[in-house]
Amino acid sequence: MTVPLAIALLVWGSIVALDLVTVPQGLLSRPLVAATLAGAMAGDVLAGMLAGAVLELYNLEILPIGAARYPDYGPGAVAAGAAAALIPAAGPIGIAGLIGLPLGLLGGWSVHRHRRNNARRVGRQLDRVSAGDARAIWHLQREGLWRDAARGLVLSAIGLGVAWAVHLVDWSTVAHRELLDWAVLAGGLSAGLGGALRIAGKGARRRWLAVGLLTGTIVAIAWH
Amino acid sequence: MALSPRWQALIRLYGVQAAWTYERMAGIGVGHAAAPLLRDLFRDRPSEERRQAVARSTEYFNCHPYLAGIAVGAVVRAEEQGVPGAAITRLRTALSGPLGAIGDQLIWTGEVPIVMGVALALLPMIGWWAVFAAVVVHNLLRFCLTLWGLDLGLAHGLGVGRALELSWLPPAARRAQRGAAFAVGLALPIVSVWLWRDGAPSGGLAVLALAIVGTVLVLSPLTRTRVTGLRVGLVLLAVALLVIGGSQ
Repeated sequence: MTVPLAIALLVWGSIVALDLVTVPQGLLSRPLVAATLAGAMAGDVLAGMLAGAVLELYNLEILPIGAARYPDYGPGAVAAGAAAALIPAAGPIGIAGLIGLPLGLLGGWSVHRHRRNNARRVGRQLDRVSAGDARAIWHLQREGLWRDAARGLVLSAIGLGVAWAVHLVDWSTVAHRELLDWAVLAGGLSAGLGGALRIAGKGARRRWLAVGLLTGTIVAIAWH
Repeated sequence: MALSPRWQALIRLYGVQAAWTYERMAGIGVGHAAAPLLRDLFRDRPSEERRQAVARSTEYFNCHPYLAGIAVGAVVRAEEQGVPGAAITRLRTALSGPLGAIGDQLIWTGEVPIVMGVALALLPMIGWWAVFAAVVVHNLLRFCLTLWGLDLGLAHGLGVGRALELSWLPPAARRAQRGAAFAVGLALPIVSVWLWRDGAPSGGLAVLALAIVGTVLVLSPLTRTRVTGLRVGLVLLAVALLVIGGSQ
């Protein structure tokens, strides 16, 4: 991995983290989007898409409602997409899980910490905020943004560190490497199906889900 | 060229959760978005009145971030009409629940799963174009929704609840959820076969069996509070690593 590529991936990882929590919340943090662009940056867009698609299945079970706590797969997906492109011998799906899943968990914890930090900062400025001081409000917003960007930078750096460690393994000599792919794909399908059934709820929506599953199965069979 | 207060508020609405906390939720962000409109509104009035209005708009507020503009617009309109502060606080409280519920239905369990489901389903056929299209479509819809919400609030003030009820939003939210169920259902078999074929071309039956067991655990009333797809994936990954490590 060249230095310019590492810098580009760190910047992309920070943007992705910002997108989930702060701004602009425009789908950039979805694993499919984050990993695909990371794979393209690293020279293999297909590997990035495969890594992103399997992590996207995990993301389908997340409903970011109210004060819910959930994993942040974005920065991990950036590292996973790049690693899938740069380490083809490891297989894109297994490597996506190795890097993206633990980092998703860490990312979720970091979001919680970030919000607790926000609360502390608001507490310190409470007098000015309660007095309607627009500068204090702007300061809190700007601080939140920078701290979130720093959070993304750290997560991305950890992800790239893990990717570097994965790259040290001689994957061509690893027996039963395919077990990693099976594990990550099976977990992803569990999350995707579970998420789909939760989104569908009960009644008419569950029938729409059944119609979708049937149509998708027919398309998948016909396409192959 | 300076942006109008409406456009400044619109841009700020994109960062409405920047200072999100468990205690005030999006209150600070909503106050930040309302500030340019309030500054314009109170420019010929005592600054103390503006400060009080800004302070009111930063109090606890929870809603879907894409619909926060409705509340911002309604509060600014109410301030313009000279509605008493206590009534404006009540308006914010009354809007909080419905804007959260409709937004979650329309966006988190509606539009986003539709866009991502369609992107996943199209991925094997058109590749990265599906990802690009998903981002563009989502952001166009989001921009239109945010602008529409801000204008709805600015137009109706205290009557925004009724205007919201009569708008296209509630039926669209219901339809979006059905669309989401269909799109995710469509995507799952297509993307699974694609991932299995291009990414992990062996062990199809083993993957299917593990996925079924995992799904049962994720959904079963006995285990669903503790078992998530992520946890299933991490446990399977750990077992795979142990087996691989033991066989070296």
